[in-house]
This record gives sequence, structure tokens and C-alpha cells, in this order.
Amino acid sequence: MTTSVDGSVRPSASAEEPDRTGAPGWRVVAAQECRDLWVGGRGPVLLFAFSVLLSGVTYLAATNQVLNFLEQREAVNLTLEIAVAVGVLVTLVISADAVSGERERGTLENLLLAPVTRRAVVAGKLMAALSLWFAAFLVAVPYVWVLGWGVAIVGQALLLGFIVGTLLAVALAEVGLLISAVSNSNKVSLAVSLFLLLALFAPTQLPGGLPQGWFGDLLNVVNPVVAGMRYLTAVLVTGHAWTRDLAYLISPLVTAAVAGAILVLTADPIVRLSGGVNAG
Amino acid sequence: MAIMLALTFSAGPAASAAPATLKAPFASAASVVAQAAAKAPPGSVEVTLDQSQVTTTVGARLTVKSRIVNPGSVSTDSLVAHLNVASLDGVYVDLEDWSADVTRSLAPLAPGASTSLSWEFQAVNTGNFGVYVVVLPSRTDPAGTAPPVASSPVHVTVAGKPTLTAGGALPVVVLIPVLLGLAACAAWLRRRRGVRPGR
Repeated sequence: MTTSVDGSVRPSASAEEPDRTGAPGWRVVAAQECRDLWVGGRGPVLLFAFSVLLSGVTYLAATNQVLNFLEQREAVNLTLEIAVAVGVLVTLVISADAVSGERERGTLENLLLAPVTRRAVVAGKLMAALSLWFAAFLVAVPYVWVLGWGVAIVGQALLLGFIVGTLLAVALAEVGLLISAVSNSNKVSLAVSLFLLLALFAPTQLPGGLPQGWFGDLLNVVNPVVAGMRYLTAVLVTGHAWTRDLAYLISPLVTAAVAGAILVLTADPIVRLSGGVNAG
Repeated sequence: MAIMLALTFSAGPAASAAPATLKAPFASAASVVAQAAAKAPPGSVEVTLDQSQVTTTVGARLTVKSRIVNPGSVSTDSLVAHLNVASLDGVYVDLEDWSADVTRSLAPLAPGASTSLSWEFQAVNTGNFGVYVVVLPSRTDPAGTAPPVASSPVHVTVAGKPTLTAGGALPVVVLIPVLLGLAACAAWLRRRRGVRPGR
């Protein structure tokens, strides 16, 4: 990411204090990052790819004779889960590039010299990464709507998808930022982040309903991604009340809270010109 | 969608009682026989469900509730209950597609005791099917060679349900990527013309 902190970032000495234009530091960084992401072209291209994927899935779910045995609820759930999964993936990719990418391109020094705290820098980058998730969710809305036409679950699916997806996006974007801040290179950051995401998503591909024992159940509850997906399936497909399986959302919430706390507490020591945990 | 089915079947005569007295040379062998006979084979159980026929649409989730009763005067050994689906039209049935949980182990049933099992499955093919439950002796049962007991089938008629069509999905499937592709092209052209973000 070529975040050029030019004249627009001259604001405050802290994240909370307003700059000359009255905006807090993190908001100035977020605005700059969003401009870079959306006007710079990466955001639209990622959204375009995202929409092509969702179009393929939606068309197959709607027309394929083999898949047509799927109940509409399952088709909605399938598309929503893919939208959440890929939306979170692109958010993680952007956040994994946030610090290590700047460091590698030599633009981090400019950013660190700007009169904003490092917490503000991290918060601004987190907001910019999350903007991609929100945009991806908006793109997913018509697909869910067209598949759920005729069954009264579109509103519920969109609301739950937004809540679960936002929780996962915040949690994984924070984890991606942490990985990015401590990685020596952008390649390492992206590779570790993608591996982590695949490892977290892999159990969602196991067939549901099979008895897995207490340890398998524990892993499903602890893994924020699996827990989030199971919650969606339980409500949208199985027809459980939205309050019945709320325990599934504890894991994404805890992950977001813990990763956020670590980011806040360690932003100063880990966001620096050289990467690595012990680099100085 | 969960549809409760009901079906009842009787599972054969009760086990015969062990001989009351035995001569000494055969005592040890007889005690084994007597112990085995004290455990009723699966043929003595009754399985109670609640319906014999259902009509549904493809993709629907059905639940068969079964109740297995030991009406005899001796307890059974552990049992295995298995759900099966057979096509009555010659359509190939992959049981794995219908349900991921088709085999259950049952604890021994005391005389007069019963246990309930709930079988959930999804109708993934169209046509007419017989869904039934088989009860077998478990591997550890001394009467392990006793024949399995099968219930009468629930006749499930599954109709097609083409709820999703290309006509409904096509506008969204085509329009959204086209619009986003145009936006991405616009951003790319803007960059190419040298308009730098944030400047």
C-alpha cells in the first residue's frame, strides 16, 4: 500500500486530538487509506472479482440440476457463507499488507513521521480494511435477495450475515494487522495470514451432523470462523431461534476483543521501520 | 422442514426361556446357554413409530421418530439400529446423501423398557422411497447371529421443486459484475491518466 502521508496528515499529536481540520488522527489516516484503497484501484478490482465469484455460485445454485435439490434456505445459506468467507478473506489480505507492505515499499517512514500516534495509524488502517468488508457485504445483498425470493429469510439472513461477518472481519483484520506489524517481509505476512485463514476455514468443509466427540465440538466452538458459520447454518437452515446458539458467537467476539487489545497495547513497539518481534 | 412420521412394527416372538434344570456334565455349557438365553435377541423388540406415509418435496428435511420397546420378560443385550432408504422406482439411492447419521448403538433394554430414537434425513431424490429401520444384535451379543428385525417401510413420495430459476437470477448475476467491472475500469483509467489518489 502506497500510503503517502502528505499534507493531509498533519494533524494531532494523539489519536484523540483533532488535527487542523478538526478530525481525529485515526480518521485522517483512515480517510487516506480508504482513498488509496478505493481510488487507487485495488478495492474496485477486488470487489469485481468478488462479484464474479458470487455470480457463479448464485447461478449454479439457481439452475444446476444437481444442486437444485437444495432447499432455498440452503442455497441462501451457501451463498451467504461464501460471501462472508471471501469478504473476510479480502479484508484479511488488505490488513496483512497494511504495515509490512508500507515497510517494504519504503513509505512507512513517512507515515511514522506524521504527528499521529501509532495507535491512530493502526486504527486508521483497520478502518480502511473493514471498508472492504462493508462494500463486499453490500455487493452480496442482491445475490442473497434473489436466492431467498419467496422464502421469508432474506432479512434475517442479511442481518445475521452482517453481524457474523463483521465480527469475523474485525477479528481477522486485527490478527492480520498484528501479523503484518511483526513480519519481516510482506510475503511472510501474506503467507502466514492466508495459511491462518485456510486453517480456520478448513473445518467448515467437514460434513456437518457427524458425531465428533467433545474435542471436535470444542474445536468448532473455539474456532471463530467455524463457530460463526455454524451459527448461520443453525439459524437459517435448521431453523433454530437466533438466541438458541448465541454461544457460537463468543469465539468471534473474544478473538476480536483480544486481538484488538493486543493491537492497542502493543501498537507503539511493533509498528516501526524494522519488522520482527525482537527487531529494534 | 421437519415432518414427524409414525410407523409401528412388531419384531417377532419373544425369546424362549432357559431350561430350568440341567444335568451335571452339561452344567458349564448350559450356564453359558442360559446366560445367553437370558438376554433376549433383537427379535423380541418392538419398534414404534408414528406414520406410514408422507408426501414431500425434494430438499425437505424429514424426521422419523422411533421407539424401541422390549415387551419380553428378559432384558436384551446391546443393539444396533440402522436407518435405510430404498427406492421403489429403481432410482439409485446414496444413503450418505440422505443422512450422515444412520447407525446408532443402543444400550440393553430391560424387560418392559423402551428407548426413543430420532432419525433426521433430507429427501435428495425425487420418486417413491421406502424408509425403514433395522435392529440388529451388537457384535458383543452372544446371540449375535440372530436375524435382524426390519420395520415396515414408511412410504415417502418426493416431488420435484424447481424453485430457483435462471430467469430470476440472471439479471443480478450479470448486472452486478458488469457494473463493478466498469467501476474498476474507471479507477484503472483514472490511475493511468496520472490522477494520484489523495492528491
